[in-house]
Formats: sequence, structure tokens, C-alpha cells
Amino acid sequence: MSDTPPTSAIDPTLPLRAKAGDRQAFAQLVDVLYPRSLRFALHMVGNREDAEEAVQDSFIRVYHNLGRFRDDARFEPWLFRILANRCRSLMEKRRRHTALIQYGEIPERYTAPAEVPQRDWTEEVYKILSTLPVEQREAFLLRHVEDMAYEDIAAVTGVGLSALRMRVKRACDVLRARLSEVMHDE
Amino acid sequence: MNEGPDRMIERVRETLREAPMVAPDQRAVARLLSAVWASPSPSRWRRVFDAWRVPALSGLGAAAVAGVALLVGFVSRGSLTQHSPEGTMVVGGVETPVMLASNTTRDAGDAAAVLTQFVLDDQTARRVSLVGEFNDWEAGNTPLTRLASGLWTVTVPLLPGRHVYAFVLDDRLVVADPRAPKVVDADYGREGSVVMVFAR
Repeated sequence: MSDTPPTSAIDPTLPLRAKAGDRQAFAQLVDVLYPRSLRFALHMVGNREDAEEAVQDSFIRVYHNLGRFRDDARFEPWLFRILANRCRSLMEKRRRHTALIQYGEIPERYTAPAEVPQRDWTEEVYKILSTLPVEQREAFLLRHVEDMAYEDIAAVTGVGLSALRMRVKRACDVLRARLSEVMHDE
Repeated sequence: MNEGPDRMIERVRETLREAPMVAPDQRAVARLLSAVWASPSPSRWRRVFDAWRVPALSGLGAAAVAGVALLVGFVSRGSLTQHSPEGTMVVGGVETPVMLASNTTRDAGDAAAVLTQFVLDDQTARRVSLVGEFNDWEAGNTPLTRLASGLWTVTVPLLPGRHVYAFVLDDRLVVADPRAPKVVDADYGREGSVVMVFAR
């Protein structure tokens, strides 16, 4: 995976139009970015109630601060920075840890790896993710699930590139090692 | 650090991307938009605080609020405090100027950061640097300035959250902050100190 920023899924004029007061443009931004935002928040905080609160609060803050959004800036790192801060604040506030993330039913359309029953695999992934240190979880999710460039992750987290790479590597190492154990146990 | 093809991580990534509860949901989006439209526009003071707290264009809002905080004594003690680069603080009973790190910039990326001062009392060192996850533990990146009182100090912008740091004395000896809680850095396994930076 290169460090090249992924092609943004959003129309770059949307934030500018939203900033100019176009509610429809803001609604389109929410429509496009809501699923990714909720996914990130859900993986970060581990329960749907807090994740929805974090996402809603973040979009409200974004909306009321659009006037301060720089015209040449990229919208997604800005949103994710606010969202990541909100997730961290919520986790600190709640100090609520769950062994298994409440994701609900596993979708049937997911194709299971041949050697591991789907449900076990998916639950193990969620479980291991929830046990990673929050800094590693955040870096891993932004890099591997949200496809962010390290430069953007640095803007989101305020952490240097080398430390971020180390965090992602540590997270990958843990996931690999623990999932290998699960597969061997099957 | 090689992140090359890795089937297992690819599968993890696919699994996490398929999180069932985050499929496009127009009702959820509509509810969120309703909440946004219904949310009251922040008051003048709220906007001032958001200028400090929400990432944006300039650090002026941060400096303004922090300056007010400094004037009313919100930040007044400890080896770590958060406030304006302009002004002084009292450390161990000594009036101490705030020295902003030379590599500090005030662009959009720093606007959400909270200026955080680090102070070390070491009378024997000839050079002191601050290292931490925020500067990739590079000793040359953030030197401290020695004051007439003998205290070493530097002020750096840090994003809200938990940060692990240490001091490097004379480019060779890494020491934790004697006034802060000790931890082992999760990234590199180094022993350091921890500071929690709060946006509000």
C-alpha cells in the first residue's frame, strides 16, 4: 500500500458550497461520509450508542464551524480529526470496555475464509481489535480500513509518521499472531 | 517497515469494512441531518471556545482563549501546563517565560493543538531535548531553552489525547520527567512520562 492519498469519494466543491450556506451540499457530505464515519467510530468506541453520538456531535461541530474551513484544505482529514477527538473524549468519559463489540448480526453476504467459520473469524477480529491499545487501533483503522495516507493520519492524530507506522505495524503483528492462533485451533 | 501483500490483514480489512451496522441507512442520515439543522448556533463564547477546540484555520482563537486563561490564573503551576506562547508561568515559584519550540508552525494542522509547556530542572546538563511520539523520538527536533533560573523549557502544540515523552540530556541520556507519571511507550517500548492533553 503506498502513501499516496486515496482518491476522495467526495466532490471537492461540496465543502465549499456547504461553507457558503448550501444545506443541500452539506446533506450530500453527510450522505457520503456518514457510513465511513460511523464505521470508524464504531470500531473505535465499541458500541453503537456512543458511536452514533460521536458521529452526530462531530457533524454538528463541523456544520457550525464550516466558516473556518480553509478553501484549499481537504475535508475528510478535518472531519476525521474532529471525530477521532470526539471518540477519544467519549472513551475517556465512559471508560466502558466491552469484550465483544456490539455489531449485531453478522451479514450473510460476507464470504468466510475456507478454513475458519465465518462467525468465529469475524468475532475474533472484532474482539482482538477491541483489545488493541487505542492509539494502535486508531492508526490501524485509519490506515487499513479508511485507506488514509500516513500524512493525513498524522494530521488527524498529531503523531509523527514514524511512530504511526510503528503503531500500524504493532497492530498488524497482534492481529496476525492472534488470528493465526484461532485458525490453528480450528 | 514492510507493509507488503498480507492476505490475513487484507481479510481483516475486508471484515472491518463490512461492519453490518454501517451499511448506507437513509433514515439514520435523515435523523442526523435533523439534529444538525435543529442544533442551536453556538453562542459567541461557544464560538470562541470552538475556535480553540475545533481544527480550523488559525491559532488566533486558541491564543486568545489561552491568553485569557493565563490572565485569570487557569494555568499556573506544574511541570506541564497549557497556555499561550506569549507570557509567563510560575514553575516552582519562579516566573518562567514560555518558549515556543522553534519548529512550531501555526498552520491549519496546529489550530486544534493545545500549547503545552515542558519544564525540566537540571542544573548540570548542557543540552536538553524533548522527545516523544509527536516528534518520532528525534532528539534534535525539539531542543529546550535554558533560562537564567537554570530551568529548561519548551512549549509545543499537542493534539488532545495521551502523549508519551522524555527528555534527552546532552544528546545521550534519556530521562523521564521526574514530575510526571511513568509509562512504557507502546510504540517503541521506551520508558517515558505521560501527559494527558485536554481540549477543554
